[in-house]
Amino acid sequence: MNDAYLNIESLSDKLVVNIKGQWVFDEVLALEEATASVIPEPGQAVIFQCAGLENIDIAGAWVLFDRTEQLMELGVKSELTGFKAAHFKFLQQIIDAAAIREYEEPPETPQRPKVIREALENVGRASASHVEDLGAIARSILDGVRNPSLIIVGETIKQIYFTGVQAIPVVMVITFLIGIVTAHQAAGQLEKFGAMVLVVDLVSISITREMGVLLAAIMVAGRSGSAFAASLGVMKLNEEVDAMRVLGLNPNQMLVIPRILGLVIALPVLTIFADIAGIAGGALIAVGSMGISPLQFIERVAYSTDLSDFYVGLIKAPVFALLIAMVGTLRGMQVKNSAEELGLKTTLAVVQSIFMIIVADAFFATLFTRMGI
Amino acid sequence: MDIVISVKNLVNQFGSQVVHDRLCLDVRRDEILGVVGGSGTGKSVLMRSILGLQKITDGSITVLGREIRYHQPGPSRCWGVLFQGGALLSGLTVQENVELPIALHSDMPIETRHELASLKLLMTGLSLSVADKYPSELSGGMRKRVSLARALALEPKILFLDEPTAGLDPIAATEFDELITYLHDNLDLTIMMITHDVDSLFGICDRIAVLVDGGVVVGTKDEILNSDHPWIKSYFGVPRAQRARFAGRGEQS
Repeated sequence: MNDAYLNIESLSDKLVVNIKGQWVFDEVLALEEATASVIPEPGQAVIFQCAGLENIDIAGAWVLFDRTEQLMELGVKSELTGFKAAHFKFLQQIIDAAAIREYEEPPETPQRPKVIREALENVGRASASHVEDLGAIARSILDGVRNPSLIIVGETIKQIYFTGVQAIPVVMVITFLIGIVTAHQAAGQLEKFGAMVLVVDLVSISITREMGVLLAAIMVAGRSGSAFAASLGVMKLNEEVDAMRVLGLNPNQMLVIPRILGLVIALPVLTIFADIAGIAGGALIAVGSMGISPLQFIERVAYSTDLSDFYVGLIKAPVFALLIAMVGTLRGMQVKNSAEELGLKTTLAVVQSIFMIIVADAFFATLFTRMGI
Repeated sequence: MDIVISVKNLVNQFGSQVVHDRLCLDVRRDEILGVVGGSGTGKSVLMRSILGLQKITDGSITVLGREIRYHQPGPSRCWGVLFQGGALLSGLTVQENVELPIALHSDMPIETRHELASLKLLMTGLSLSVADKYPSELSGGMRKRVSLARALALEPKILFLDEPTAGLDPIAATEFDELITYLHDNLDLTIMMITHDVDSLFGICDRIAVLVDGGVVVGTKDEILNSDHPWIKSYFGVPRAQRARFAGRGEQS
């Protein structure tokens, strides 16, 4: 098959290699094979005759040149003749640029026994940057409060619409379904005690105190936390944030405050919707398959669930909102350089905000239990 | 004379705004075609249409005898594109960016791939010290060179350049023009270049295509200069174009 690219004539003191055919990119593998078959006897010089060449491009020329270099290293003289001007220019160019480094296997990094030290360093670095970040947020909030402007109000309303109003359907569907699930699970257990009516208590208390706000917050973290990080990140990459600074606008005030404020207003309202939908889900099962009448259900909800239960859920909403919005905007503002980082920070925003929501919820649960609410 | 790119009756319409109205354009083998036009005359849209990145309203486009369809695989082995901002993949190093097309379109061993990519970087006037850097660490001019190296990685027959000298200082822009001429002379390249740089337009283009009134006026430099279309007249009548024109003349004589 090598005949397609070259044929070899062996003379007494030299090896004449007639180059022919297509020496192009697509053939590189075959060409390398072909050139490797050029093996001179000791004492022979190699002459590459290129007159029969039909077509050559840089990749082809490179293969040829590479072989002459290899032969040179073996102490064999080699020569290129019969080039058309254009082809020769190629090769000349390559020869000029012969400083091309050979491919090196990436050196294996020796495993250092410093894992613990590195981990500690990372923890330290992360903590320091978190303190710094918190300062930045606090400052931006302060900036925003100090001189509020009309633009912020408009932007905030827009954010309330995006993060709150548009999220109502999905949040309601989710909590409705969770209401159904909770009722089913509770019914299975409580039936054994003949206390079916307690299903209503369980659903209404768990939804108002915990599930409603938690589900709404997690949903919003997924929807809006990621949106905050991604949109601010793209703005950073497009130099929009820089442009704002140059124009004398404070990006924290223009971008961060409205998002935080918007979410702090939107999430409590969403929580109310979530509570309603969750209890409705429970009602569907109680009335539909457990023989509790609608009136009985409402009576039981009113009897078992205090307004304080409802407030316990609601009070958590602004805190969760603050966490989601702060993490989202902060991660967005940290994006620089590359699209990959944008993805990384967006992921981080969602994961961290959900994590923080759950940590905060655990804290609230302990606190309220201690307080006896 | 071979026609490499053939655009027939291209119509591009966005809402009520008609950008191209039955535009016809042929690009010949081995020429450098400069494309100019005012803002919104659809220079980039034309290029995107040819590359299959734009859903065209009507008309047909063939590149190297192959019909181009929106978002369908085109002759990606045969063309290289230098996007305006470079469009390097930000998650890959310079070396990896240039190696990527080679890895995608051939089964070369990694050493050969690596060497060919290095070669392309050298050809575009970069030193290999940038090879392990990420695009975000490079200056605008270097990014364009890397992008050109990537465009050349597969030994394309057609090279598309979108404002190659925009954002470069005059020295770098001149170097870039020289580089393109050099590559064109040595590589049997057909080049289609969108540019507002009148120096490169007069300096290196064989023909100039001016997008006006939804169509195109194509001709050699002198034909275009003698055109009596009002927009073309005013475009080439402004002082900077005049200077470039005479500078270009001076070189020729």
